Amino acid sequence: MPGRPRKTVQTGDVELIGAPVEGLEKLSEDLSLSLNRDEMIMLAHYFRDLGRNPTMLEIQAMAQAWSEHCCYKSSKLYLKKFLSGLKTDYTILAMEDDAGVVEFDDDHAYVVKMESHNHPSAIEPYGGAATGIGGIIRDVLCMGAQPVALMDSIYLGEIKENMTNDHGLTQRFTFNGIVSGIRDYGNRVGIPNVAGSVDFHHSYNNNPLVNAGCIGIARKDNIIRSKIEKVGDLLILAGGRTGRDGIHGVNFASVRISERESNKRAVQLGNPIIKEPLIHSILEAVDQGLIDGMKDLGGGGMSSSVGEMCYAGGTSAEIHLENVLLKESDMAPWEIWISESQERMLLAVSKENLERIAQIFKKWDIEFSVIGTVKEGNNLVIYNGGKKEMDLSLPFLTSGPMYCRPYRTKVPDRKETALPREPQNFNELMLKFASDPNVCSRFRVIRQYDFTVRGNTISKPLTGFPNHETHSDCAIIRPLEESMRGLALSIGTAARMVSLNPYNGTLAALSEGFRNIMVSGSIPHSIVDSLNFGDPEKPDSMGEFIESVRAIGDFCRKFKLPVVAGNVSLYNGSSSSSIIPTPTILFTGICENVTAALSSEFKGDGNIVVLIGNSPPDLSGSLYSIYSGVTSYDAPGVDIDELSRIYSGFIEAFRRGFVVSAHDVSGGGIAMTAFEMSFGRGIGFSIDISDVSHGRTTQKLFSEAGNRIIAEVKEKDYEGFSKCFTDVNLVKLGRTGGDRAIIDDMGLNYVNLGVEELREAWDHGLDNYI
Amino acid sequence: MDSKSILPESDKPRVAILRMEGTNNEDEAFHSFRRSGAEPEYVHINEISRGHIDLEDFSAIFIPGGFSAGDYVRAGAIFAARLRFSVMDKLVRFISSEKPVIGICNGFQVLAELGLIPDIGGRQDRVVTLAPNISSRFECRYVYIRMTSRNKMFSARFSNGKPRQVPVAHAEGRVLASDMKIIDAIDENGQILFRYSNPDGTGCGYPWNPNGSVKDIAAITNPAGNVIGLMPHPERVYYNFQMMGNEKNDPNGTGKDFFDSVVDFILRK
Repeated sequence: MPGRPRKTVQTGDVELIGAPVEGLEKLSEDLSLSLNRDEMIMLAHYFRDLGRNPTMLEIQAMAQAWSEHCCYKSSKLYLKKFLSGLKTDYTILAMEDDAGVVEFDDDHAYVVKMESHNHPSAIEPYGGAATGIGGIIRDVLCMGAQPVALMDSIYLGEIKENMTNDHGLTQRFTFNGIVSGIRDYGNRVGIPNVAGSVDFHHSYNNNPLVNAGCIGIARKDNIIRSKIEKVGDLLILAGGRTGRDGIHGVNFASVRISERESNKRAVQLGNPIIKEPLIHSILEAVDQGLIDGMKDLGGGGMSSSVGEMCYAGGTSAEIHLENVLLKESDMAPWEIWISESQERMLLAVSKENLERIAQIFKKWDIEFSVIGTVKEGNNLVIYNGGKKEMDLSLPFLTSGPMYCRPYRTKVPDRKETALPREPQNFNELMLKFASDPNVCSRFRVIRQYDFTVRGNTISKPLTGFPNHETHSDCAIIRPLEESMRGLALSIGTAARMVSLNPYNGTLAALSEGFRNIMVSGSIPHSIVDSLNFGDPEKPDSMGEFIESVRAIGDFCRKFKLPVVAGNVSLYNGSSSSSIIPTPTILFTGICENVTAALSSEFKGDGNIVVLIGNSPPDLSGSLYSIYSGVTSYDAPGVDIDELSRIYSGFIEAFRRGFVVSAHDVSGGGIAMTAFEMSFGRGIGFSIDISDVSHGRTTQKLFSEAGNRIIAEVKEKDYEGFSKCFTDVNLVKLGRTGGDRAIIDDMGLNYVNLGVEELREAWDHGLDNYI
Repeated sequence: MDSKSILPESDKPRVAILRMEGTNNEDEAFHSFRRSGAEPEYVHINEISRGHIDLEDFSAIFIPGGFSAGDYVRAGAIFAARLRFSVMDKLVRFISSEKPVIGICNGFQVLAELGLIPDIGGRQDRVVTLAPNISSRFECRYVYIRMTSRNKMFSARFSNGKPRQVPVAHAEGRVLASDMKIIDAIDENGQILFRYSNPDGTGCGYPWNPNGSVKDIAAITNPAGNVIGLMPHPERVYYNFQMMGNEKNDPNGTGKDFFDSVVDFILRK
């Protein structure tokens, strides 16, 4: 490919050596490096020892590599401390490459990953969310896997108030923009979106969160590593062209969002119609064994992909920027190097295979170019039309600083939540509560996503009679035509609980995810986390992060679950306050036979409704306490030993065919859980909650504490069912049947509503907002 | 195993599943045809226009759903323009030899755009449009369809009028015509193959008709009945375990009957 001369902007050396400290800080700001004073001093010292100033490209590359986003400088100490050593014998790759790789069956592995795309979505909700989906698909694809399902957890500001935030956007605009972005990208690429969560809280007003997950399936022998080991291989950049969209995205994601400055330039633009053929062509090349190493271009662009791939494989590279295909011809070398333009993949391919891979790209009309060669040695060398633009040691470039920041662990000053006044009319309360945006159905969102494309979504995000469904606990995908084995997927968190007590709250989120998988009869198998926290330079935020990661470590050790991938997003919030800590957990489970999976809706009349697990009468952090305006001070503890006993008993009961339906108790407590079970087929119930706990009626109805599940069991099976459990509290609540939801307590009737009336209120709760 | 699945390789009818950038429902269509005993092949339209592949060699053509070229213009418009430019005459010959041409979702939009359905009077005018859903939203849900014509291809398995469960997933699926007389004409000609229905077949309002199509149209054909455009996705519900609610207990999914019908039709010819 002929090199072409380039007009360049802002090149030449950057005066680092001998610059005064204030000058260094100003330089960081002027060049949008987002490096702090100490980091700039470290760089100045390094180049002083080299005896020369850095080029513009070098200093920009350093800023990419040393950003929080790329090098995890605030978080890696704790990720290592609490999450290392969690590998199981079925884990193939955990926390090593772009995505986790875990055994699915003898010949296949699933590839799973989740990432946050928060800062871009705050500024430009539609584009930010869309590229979040695009990026996560590439992370799975670059391991050589066919993406089979998408998931997303989104967190938005107070939706009921329609005021503009610091970016001049209303919450409804942001909500609609984010959902539309996820919808348009996912639907166009043809990967079903099967699981998700939507949460509203005022702390997300200026900083909504978008956490996107993707899972794929690959033959084990087709897994491609994100590293370059073969000296002499060619480096190929394929897919979209490189442009000025998404410059400084990672630096922008590594500081608080500025209220003044327009950061739109840092938001990339996605194009699903390049992505779709890119997926086909890459998978074809993978099948033919043409690719030696592969990585997607995300945060940091080529700068981080090339550097990390070479460093991981113990090689180096020589790059020729004049061979990069551009959207705009007047880009400076440093802009080309750090651009985060979407839909690009970096491939290492041997010279012999170049022709064959070129044929595949041609068939799919995919543009590509050879941008460099893999070399031996330490230094990454970059040329632009004969001029050397970079010659730096890869270990220095990619290592980055590591911080042990000061932190403070919050000790709650009170334990108990003050009790709200008992309502006069529970029927009225239930109709209002069920339609609250935090409680109601998510169908307005779910139905905008194509969750049936590819035909493999066996348990859908909704379940029951068509157009009369209720929520599922998890989705189940059957990824292989020749097998009935499935992947069970659940995603979400318990952010309000985490904000009250990061350790207990994170355990609550894990317990819920675990039960979401378990109630379908699937086996929890691996975890991916997306850790969204506030400013790590504030000790309280740092303390929240550390406690949350500690909880993940403890939980996973207890259940021998690997954490196979994850990401950390810090600096979420506005100048005045941080978001509530939000560790999103993606659980993957194995469903041994998709045709036997359980779903959450009541199936028949006259069956026993049983509550499994202890019921602490604690309303702390519950949706009901928020609904009734009561302040909570601490989150209830989670007894993970009890969860373990519940798990053994439940799976045994499921395998023996004793469970008709099951649903975990989470947001809205026993009340919402039983309601939701009645919605799917319009089958009512009559239950008595006298024996649930010693608390007041609202505590029994709405507490979200514990590790509880409600199950539907046939009368004739109940004895066998109860014998499956050892040292687990079982409370027979009542029976299914009729078309009314009836709840009694201590001899008094509290709720008596038509299931349809209740379902209508619940179904339409979001209608005014999206 | 189905008797047709054990046909010798050479006797299996070849089905071309057309692809271009943005088509994305092809894997489930591929599997559905294969399960019903056909020999499906992916054919990129570049391979046809470059002369590498001849449509004559196939017994049926399937145009899958998706978002061909992003559907940024009008759903299916670009796919249709490229087909018109490269293979229109071959496609018309293919159709006149009474071989099936089936377009689902975006594929329906392509066929309507090319004027191959309803094709009253054989002039291939674009008289039917798939307009944005009345709800102005993307609608992903399960609905029901009933067969409402005497189409030979499907009469054996669908003519009892029983509502059959199928998923839909589209933002533009509302069948409209420039003139209501056209709709009346295709109705009289028996070209309305399937209509949306509620589960018991007694009526049909939103969301059972998910897009607001006139006369609840879910699928239409050309006058001969071998060119079929339909919005729902039978290829996603081949087996009972892909269905929802009570239909999970049916012997098989709606898709099996649909694709078995197509393959039987080819083999009978």
